Amino acid sequence: MAIDGLIILDSTGRPIIQSGYTSYPPGYPILHVDALNTELSKCARAKDVDPVIYVGPGIGDLRGSACCHVEVGGMRILASVSRDADPLVAFAFLQAFVDVLVDYFGTVNAATLKDNFDTVYQLLEETLDSSGHPLTTSPNALRDIVLPPSLITKLIASIAPSGPSPASGRTGAGSLAGAGAGAAFASPIPWRKAGVRHNHNEILFDVVEDMCATIGRNGATLSSLVWGKIECNAKLSGTPDLTMTFTNPTVMTNCAFHPCVRLQRWSRDKVFSFVPPDGQFVIAEYQYGPPHGALSGNVPVPIAFKANVTTDENEGSFTLTISSKLSTKPMENVIIEHYLGEDSTGAQCSTSSSGTGLGTVGGAEGSWMYDHHKHVLRWEIPNLTTSGSWSLRGSWTSKSKTPRPDRTYSIKFDIPSYTFSALKVDQLRLSSEAYKMYKGVRGRSKGSIEWRW
Amino acid sequence: MSTQQGQDAKFFTRGKIEEFRAELAAAEAKDKKFQKRKTVLKKIVANITMGNDMSPLFPDVAQSIGCPLLEIKKMVYLYMLSYGRSKPDQIHLVIPSFLQDCNDRNPLIRALAIRTMSYIPIPTVTEALSDQLRHCLKDRDPYVRKTAAICVAKLYAADPRRAERGGFVEMLRDLMLDTNATVVANAVASLSEIGDRHDGVIFRLNLTIANKLLTALGESSEWGQIYILDSLLRYVPETHADAEMMGERVIVQLQHANSAVVLTAIKVLLYLMNYMDNRRLIEHICRKMGPPLVALLSSGPEVQYVALRNILLIIQRRPTVLKNDVKVFFCKYNDPIYVKLAKLEIMYRLARDENFREVLAELEEYSTEVDLDFVRKSVRSIGRLAIKVEAAADSCIKSLLSLIDTKVTYVVQEAVIVTRDIFRRYPGRYEGIIPTLCEHMDALDEPEARAAMVWILGQFADKIENADELLDDLTYTFLDEPTEVQLALLTATVKLFIYKSQSNTTKALVHKVLKWATEEVDNPDLRDRGFMYWRMLAINPSVAGEIVLSEKPAITTDSDRMDRGALDQLLLHTGTLGSIYHKNPETFIRNAAGRALTDSPALNANSRATIVPLARPHLPPAAVKVSGPGPNEPSSGSTQAQNNEVTVGSPAAAPTEQPSAGDVDLLDMDDSTVGKSHAVQEEATVDPVDGPTGAPDPYAGLGGAFGGYLADQPQPMAGNRVGNGNGNDLGDLVF
Repeated sequence: MAIDGLIILDSTGRPIIQSGYTSYPPGYPILHVDALNTELSKCARAKDVDPVIYVGPGIGDLRGSACCHVEVGGMRILASVSRDADPLVAFAFLQAFVDVLVDYFGTVNAATLKDNFDTVYQLLEETLDSSGHPLTTSPNALRDIVLPPSLITKLIASIAPSGPSPASGRTGAGSLAGAGAGAAFASPIPWRKAGVRHNHNEILFDVVEDMCATIGRNGATLSSLVWGKIECNAKLSGTPDLTMTFTNPTVMTNCAFHPCVRLQRWSRDKVFSFVPPDGQFVIAEYQYGPPHGALSGNVPVPIAFKANVTTDENEGSFTLTISSKLSTKPMENVIIEHYLGEDSTGAQCSTSSSGTGLGTVGGAEGSWMYDHHKHVLRWEIPNLTTSGSWSLRGSWTSKSKTPRPDRTYSIKFDIPSYTFSALKVDQLRLSSEAYKMYKGVRGRSKGSIEWRW
Repeated sequence: MSTQQGQDAKFFTRGKIEEFRAELAAAEAKDKKFQKRKTVLKKIVANITMGNDMSPLFPDVAQSIGCPLLEIKKMVYLYMLSYGRSKPDQIHLVIPSFLQDCNDRNPLIRALAIRTMSYIPIPTVTEALSDQLRHCLKDRDPYVRKTAAICVAKLYAADPRRAERGGFVEMLRDLMLDTNATVVANAVASLSEIGDRHDGVIFRLNLTIANKLLTALGESSEWGQIYILDSLLRYVPETHADAEMMGERVIVQLQHANSAVVLTAIKVLLYLMNYMDNRRLIEHICRKMGPPLVALLSSGPEVQYVALRNILLIIQRRPTVLKNDVKVFFCKYNDPIYVKLAKLEIMYRLARDENFREVLAELEEYSTEVDLDFVRKSVRSIGRLAIKVEAAADSCIKSLLSLIDTKVTYVVQEAVIVTRDIFRRYPGRYEGIIPTLCEHMDALDEPEARAAMVWILGQFADKIENADELLDDLTYTFLDEPTEVQLALLTATVKLFIYKSQSNTTKALVHKVLKWATEEVDNPDLRDRGFMYWRMLAINPSVAGEIVLSEKPAITTDSDRMDRGALDQLLLHTGTLGSIYHKNPETFIRNAAGRALTDSPALNANSRATIVPLARPHLPPAAVKVSGPGPNEPSSGSTQAQNNEVTVGSPAAAPTEQPSAGDVDLLDMDDSTVGKSHAVQEEATVDPVDGPTGAPDPYAGLGGAFGGYLADQPQPMAGNRVGNGNGNDLGDLVF
């Protein structure tokens, strides 16, 4: 069940920070670091290293353990697990821990962690008990125990080292006098601290949908799934009990909720009933279930793409055409990538567009580039409007007699102010508090499509 | 690291002990707002993290423990955490401060003090901790209570008997009814840790407590939910209705955002289903489990990997769970290779008459990719698909032939290997393609592929006109071949001889090979087999023919499903390392606790038949039950009797401790049993056969199940499965 400990490695594979490992032999963490570095050096591509590495038995350690690791900001964070350990808990914890670090330091990289290592240490202590039980990873609760290294807290610490902190609403964890320091845990709701006050009460929702599709050689959609996420930023005072209703809740299937959402209410009435944490959080994730009739369960892909690729000795040529199938919203940041094979040496292309109503002003036709390191051809179209089509014509050269470009084009795009599901919030009601709040809902979508040719 | 990266970075420079000591001494005097001291301590802590030994500073650092500044106190405690255990002779310097902090009015400091003390397993500290801990477990601040709960497990690890005598286990049990969900969850976590030690207390839940915990689920943090859900595996349902009611309450947790919560909930459901009787409910639960598993595949690759390995186990036991979702397992170009390989294993297992075309099209797509491992596995999966879905066999053979046509060596080799299995699965249907295979014989340079080709030549020597020539060619290098190929050649030539015993060339060939095998080769297996064939052929060639060419059992991929008992047991480890490696954790991880289904009247018959008993090396012989809190609970007659019988033996336990006692077996512990268990352990070591430790190795019978499975080989249909012999692929494992 438990995680043995956590080690943060810099980009060269050296440990920067590690948790206590007090009940393990001193060589134990090193064993894990070594195991990870060995695996990393064996693999050509770092992303292909098994995420769970079996670590053989070491000295004074009859049986093995395992090392779970993730890559974050150029570093690797590894969690060692043994006993009846659960790698998924390790990964979930690593994710939560990284979220906490982001919450505290904004960006997470080796430099910020080294600058704030005392804070990181305290965070480790509070989030991961030395025996490996994840404790509190809710930023709401943590901020009361471990003070973020902001300018204000440094000021408070230097002005009043031993006195009670100013009446800022936040307990003075920087000083001894934080009598209510346990307030986070005194709160009956683990994810929300007690006594939050905001001058301006507002709650904002972002509905973000992500399409993930594979298109076959014949143009048929092999699979196309849309994953949705509702992000929330709540700045509400007191203990706000909210009820959110939707005009079309049935588009959300396979929902997964933040612990604050009352699951029974959702099962019964299809409404979100919750007391939100303070600040940013993801309230729900879902899969968009297209209305019945779409037997295959595939959501229609909003673009049309055609690729004509021919290969010859030491070279290949292609003509790509793309257009939008949406009638109302333009797409942005359309990126089409094609891996031309390890032997490819260069590419030459020209872009054109027709019927876009944009002319050729401001690079509207898009731009292309060839990445010599990754051997990837990349075509970017900043703005794909609802009408017209864009094309890229070109050729590439290869050292190999029979060039083997990848069989798929990867297409990525963003659609602002649009959701595939057209999920619509009907009402958001606040009970248990008397104030008026500002409410807002926005939608946006993105997609990542693999198009085979 | 450049210098402008900030203040603290420079603390990472290696410091000198003496320097720090002097700086600490200087900080004693004139230290405005403890700034100096803070700076030195920060340096020291930085050095600890770099692995530099700072232990000589113990007495110096210890002097700062009384400092009222929380930040400093935390660093001193961090230091104590690192070096306290290695300084038993100096620890007395800080104990008074520890004790003082245990009674501080700041709950953070109270918690810090007991937490640090519990990590220093030195008798004097443990002794001092005991009293403090007792108060802290009843502290009015939940932060202190939740910390204290975890500390009990530490205390227990340091000195189990003291913790038991001190009544800490009972206090933990009472904390499970605390009003604060975090405290409840930590008490459960602590009890689980104690229960997993297997040298004293057994942690088991009854219906009342299990229900209470389920109620606390809603208010717990995600980690708390994991502890609580996991602890439900310690509840053994006595009736089908209990299991079903519990299952229905767990289902809602499948909608949690945390992937670990979801998978733990699935583990509990899989467990409870063993105790259910209602077919419709079981099917309902199976349907409900699918979507959250699919949703896990939208997470990062690491989570996907763990999920995929678990899905592979789950669909073997509950084939209906994802039967319509094969599409989500289609590989993406950008998936890391470990995710792709894990998906492949699942894809052909989910293939059926209705969807094999899509699956095959995908597999064909993959076998043109660049990554060698992935391509080989894809080709192999095409073969598995042909074997699993009869309707797909024709198409699969076609696509294998076109792959062989590519002349890419590793593709051809892999295709030959799987074709051999297809020949075995559908005897008499595809032998027409043998000539095509023979054309590519020269491309085969890997032992497994060569052995497969040789097997085909021998088995169908009667249908291949020039089999004797081909085999003769292959035997030129006989003495240099790996054993695998030598064995295959030996058998193939014998088969050839039996088919064509009149031909002189075959006679010479078989004679040559038998002579080599018995005289020139060192490998005993090969020699033995050589002698065996030689004798058989010498004594009675026609009987030898019957034996060597006897009808082979047809093969099926269903049998590379794991053994039912092994599956049931592994599924109790869903989400854990065991489920990644498909082995029971205690066989490869230190201190891992084994798990097994526990028999109860509600356990369904097939699960019981395949139950794998768990060896508990330190099991107390007669578990004595201490009653739990809460209302009385009706229990079946047998347990009633059992309880009475045992409780009589230890009159001290129940009545004094729990006035509201019901016959609830929550915690099997008592001082007297603990004593007894020691006595018996000693007996057991003297006479291991009769003692409780003498149970036969429960994994002895599983070797084959894992071995065959891991090799990913189709196996003979008959024999190794219990209770699911018939052909209904989807329904046969419901119970």
